[in-house]
Amino acid sequence: MDREVIIPMTAHRPLLDVRDLEVAYETKGGLFRKSMTTVVKGVSFHIAPGETYGLVGESGSGKSTTGRAILRLADIAGGSIDFDGTDIAGMGSRTPLSYRRDVQAVYQDPGASLNPRHHVGRAVTDALKRHGIGDRASRRKKALESFEQVGLTAAHLDRFPSEMSGGQLQRVAIARALVLEPRLVICDEAVSALDLSTQSQIINLLMDLQKDSGVSYLFITHDLGVVRHISQRVGVLKLGELVEEGVTEELFDNPQHEYTQALLTASPSSTPEGRDERRELRQKRRVSVPSLRQAS
Amino acid sequence: MTTSTVGPAAASAPAARQASGPAQAWRRLRHQPVTLAAVITIAIIIVIAAAAPLIAPYDAGETDFTSVLAGPSADHLLGTDDFGHDILSQLIYAARTALIVGVGSVLVAMLIGVPMGLILGYKGGWYDRLGSRVMDIADAMPGIMIGFVVIAILGRGTLILIFAIGLIFSMNFARMVRAITLTERKKLYVESAHVTGLRNRQIVFGQVLPNLVGPLAVQGAVFLGNAIKVEAALSFLGLGLPDDQPSWGGMLRTAAEHQVDHPWMALPPGIAIVITVLALNLLGDGINDALSGARTSRKQRKRALHQAPTLAEVEEAKRAVSSVVTTPVAVAPALAQALVTTDKHPDTVLAVRDIHIVADRPDGEVVPLVSSLDLTVGRGEVMGLLGESGSGKSMLAKSILGLLPAGVRVESGSVELAGEELVGRTERQWREIRGKKLGVVFQNPQANLSPVHTVGRQLIDPLRIHHGMSKAVARDQAADLLDMVGVKDAAKRLDDYPHQFSGGMAQRVAIAIALAGDPDVLILDEATSALDVTTQSQVLDLVLDLREKLGMAVINITHDLGVAAEACDRVAIMYHGQLLEVNDVFSLFDEPHHPYTKALLASHPTADHKVDRLPTIADFVTADGEWIAR
Amino acid sequence: MGKLVLYRLGFAIPQLLVVSVVVFSLTYLVPGSPAAAILGVSATPESIALVEEQLGLNRPAGERLLEWFGGLVQGDLGTAYRSGLPVTEMLAQRIPATLSMILGGMVVAIVIGVGVGVYTGTRPGTKADRLLTGGTVLGIAIPEFWLGILLTTVFAAQLGWLPIIGWVPFTVDPWGWFVGLILPSLTLGITGGAIIARQTRASMVRALAAPYTDTLTAAGVPRWKILYQYGVKNAMVPVLASIGVVFAILIGVSFVIEKVFSFPGLGSLMLTSTIGQDFPVVQGVVLFTATLVIAVNLLIDILYGLINPQARPA
Repeated sequence: MDREVIIPMTAHRPLLDVRDLEVAYETKGGLFRKSMTTVVKGVSFHIAPGETYGLVGESGSGKSTTGRAILRLADIAGGSIDFDGTDIAGMGSRTPLSYRRDVQAVYQDPGASLNPRHHVGRAVTDALKRHGIGDRASRRKKALESFEQVGLTAAHLDRFPSEMSGGQLQRVAIARALVLEPRLVICDEAVSALDLSTQSQIINLLMDLQKDSGVSYLFITHDLGVVRHISQRVGVLKLGELVEEGVTEELFDNPQHEYTQALLTASPSSTPEGRDERRELRQKRRVSVPSLRQAS
Repeated sequence: MTTSTVGPAAASAPAARQASGPAQAWRRLRHQPVTLAAVITIAIIIVIAAAAPLIAPYDAGETDFTSVLAGPSADHLLGTDDFGHDILSQLIYAARTALIVGVGSVLVAMLIGVPMGLILGYKGGWYDRLGSRVMDIADAMPGIMIGFVVIAILGRGTLILIFAIGLIFSMNFARMVRAITLTERKKLYVESAHVTGLRNRQIVFGQVLPNLVGPLAVQGAVFLGNAIKVEAALSFLGLGLPDDQPSWGGMLRTAAEHQVDHPWMALPPGIAIVITVLALNLLGDGINDALSGARTSRKQRKRALHQAPTLAEVEEAKRAVSSVVTTPVAVAPALAQALVTTDKHPDTVLAVRDIHIVADRPDGEVVPLVSSLDLTVGRGEVMGLLGESGSGKSMLAKSILGLLPAGVRVESGSVELAGEELVGRTERQWREIRGKKLGVVFQNPQANLSPVHTVGRQLIDPLRIHHGMSKAVARDQAADLLDMVGVKDAAKRLDDYPHQFSGGMAQRVAIAIALAGDPDVLILDEATSALDVTTQSQVLDLVLDLREKLGMAVINITHDLGVAAEACDRVAIMYHGQLLEVNDVFSLFDEPHHPYTKALLASHPTADHKVDRLPTIADFVTADGEWIAR
Repeated sequence: MGKLVLYRLGFAIPQLLVVSVVVFSLTYLVPGSPAAAILGVSATPESIALVEEQLGLNRPAGERLLEWFGGLVQGDLGTAYRSGLPVTEMLAQRIPATLSMILGGMVVAIVIGVGVGVYTGTRPGTKADRLLTGGTVLGIAIPEFWLGILLTTVFAAQLGWLPIIGWVPFTVDPWGWFVGLILPSLTLGITGGAIIARQTRASMVRALAAPYTDTLTAAGVPRWKILYQYGVKNAMVPVLASIGVVFAILIGVSFVIEKVFSFPGLGSLMLTSTIGQDFPVVQGVVLFTATLVIAVNLLIDILYGLINPQARPA
């Protein structure tokens, strides 16, 4: 399928429109009580076709939960998620197959996201088979094409996950996600578990593939360096709430919310230059903003 | 070592073959002598049982009234019982009944338990709640009681016996299958498949059933043994098989009646039961170990114990060597400049010289983990050890501490801490060093502390050991320590347990423990890698504050460039067990020498500047795996 | 602490209730009527109906259930079909012997089990470990009643060190009671101990492989302290569970070995009532046993909460 690359413009309808999202989990109360903990509250953002939106936050910020809600793996307690104009929550208990084609995911632990008993090529062909694409021969051909697209070879098709490195496995996961030609891919800490030397390769790969296909990414991560590089717009989550959002360069150069500022100051920089000043700044902040002190 | 071991070819080397898969299990099984012996024993028993009419000297019901309760003789090798039955023949035919009842009941147990476990694990919700209650009821009863009750209701008989014993073990199977199903259901690849659109049932059963085969085989073997024991017990009591059917339990019943004057009668059936059950248990254990790859060969254990050099040997080796400084042979001359042995700190507190650390693989191969490494750390300086996973940095830290895991050892080289040699120390000799001169904080905050002891206890113990203080004084000191690392309400928090601390706080506690003995060197082994960014910077700032206050040297092991930039005075770059470059931090980041360092710095996306396309390590290496000096 | 007890009790009591109901409804599973079983060959439809009337078997289920519970609360477990004696009385006569045996067996099992388990767990791979572990493997394969026969044959019949008939009530002769318990306790304790030893060894090995041992070792805590104070306490958690399991097993085994030691316990009562299909007695024994097991498991759960702070209700 030949896709036009669409430049994000606010006039177009967004591909993904999240409004006032609320997600809650059941927690074990006491003997008879069943209490709910709200993990995401009042989160609103949108993603245009062909755009990468970075969602940053620390642990407990609700970023992964937001991704799961969009993937329909977590129930929406409040608000709405519109995908291409359709409300996800209204889809009922069975997710339509077309949605499973349009929205895909790449996870943090590449080894764990692939079936250890099957050779990796099957991850791709099974996906194609489920969506009724082609016959056995053409599926295998398509799998090979998708592998080559991510930098793997025919020899890799029949290997088991235990025989491949982390970087290679993540390429397989990306191939599986993209072979269905989705419109949105949720990358949940997709490069966080990779070696330094592999991270940059995978980031480049993701960006190249986006240029070719026009797919949108929701890039969930805690790593500010990566998100600055890969996303056009960024949202900052703190304890389930979206505290700041904006175009990447502007947000990084001129953060408005104090949490964003704290996050940037705490983020290790690429060079030791100016580190004494940064340290002093953090110390001043710690004294004047007691709420942050309790954060750890 | 040639340069072809570094570079992208090596960088993308496949991870070690994992210990799963039926082929590997089978291979391992063949190398387990005890298991093989068990298999042969069981095979023999099956053959005896099947061929009973052919092997047994007499028929099952044949009696000889002329020879009652006779001892072993030519006619009757094991003697006769009170009815004149030949004991040897009885023994052989009883093997048949034991196996039939045993296998029958295990099948019944599986038929009931496996579907139940699958349904409970897969469906969850109300099914699970109800089913778990049923299993709980079974928990409240000794197994054999269930057998009693079933027989009380339904009477005696072979089929009833099989059903009764099967029922006893059915809940065990249900529980196991349920647990496995639940575990598989939660796995990431199940969720991934779901996101791709695959149907839930297809995924779960496609995963669960193959994963069940192994445990079912193990439990099947073990429960078969148990079933035979239970059948024997019930027959012993007269509740089991009809009296005309020979069974080991029944034979023991007769033997018990004549215990006083004919004690030998108890031996044959008892020994038969023990051998059968023992063989089955060993088979179950064997399959279990083969599946998980848990067994190490005796050879491997021996080697690990005897090949590390002793302290005396190391001292001897040092005396023999005249010069101390060595340049690594591995690096090509053109790149020698990369190894800047910088102005050594005038006051060296830790000196690592030409250290070689190797791992002994089970098949006999010796794999180098760290090669020819030289490093010095000055008093009060923060030395960063930067490298990716597999670079050997953790092993280096562990070798300094004497905590290398089994199978890994220091082959040669020396580590001197404040003039004292560390390599080759015995446990007793280590006591003088650990805690007093060296402290360490590991990566995972919660795993660093004993979950069932209070934090205070884990601080007080080292304090008392190092300073010999009383409990009360130690408690005060512990509170001071906690306060120093930034834990509020320190005195109260001494009585809290580790799980009541957040990740960052738990790491602060670990730092406090490491500093309890006032060490000269503090080693942080990826100590902040598992923490959030804001927490990480707080902990790093804390360590820098403490360094200023207490003056200890810090070795900061990390894979994070940013951590090296923010917190270290000097940085050493490690890759595949080799030290590539050492320099003070500003110079290293400003003017990296080694191509790998350059590549690392260039390819790392950071929050404070942006490039259009990230260069990768591959951009710095030729097709043959050689570094390009750019 | 009190919260922990109440919390656990909240689980134990419903479990007991459910067990009681299940036990009660067992009689309804019987094909045919117990009355026919009692009367045996001479049964005629009239005599069966008569006996049923006498025993109250023809009343509606709900009524009988309520009566059953009413009786339970008062400690009345009904009357035996065959002997006509109150079940509670029959049980009471036999409980001391069974409890004594179980007590003795558990003491031996825990001492042997934990002792061997800790010893082998702290030195895995050594000769001593392999020898003792081999012993535990053998221990779980041996049929307990056979072990009992062997022990009595050797120590009582042949050597005459210990009496063959073991049971002497404590109230009659404490020393005799103790001596009579030696062989049964050993019999029960060896198999039970083997199970506990295996579990203890495994959890010791696991506890000692945990990262906190590295942290504490590096901090200078001596090895013996790490093994015996930190390691053992961490290992105890699964070991407690196995002790609970072994307790339930030992009750069952004690029923079987009573014959070997001529102990007048619940086992022989269970045996005769099983053969005779005397359901009130069967129900009584089952209910008593279940109560005992649930009570001990409750105790173990509480102990578990004391050791493992994460298991306590927040």
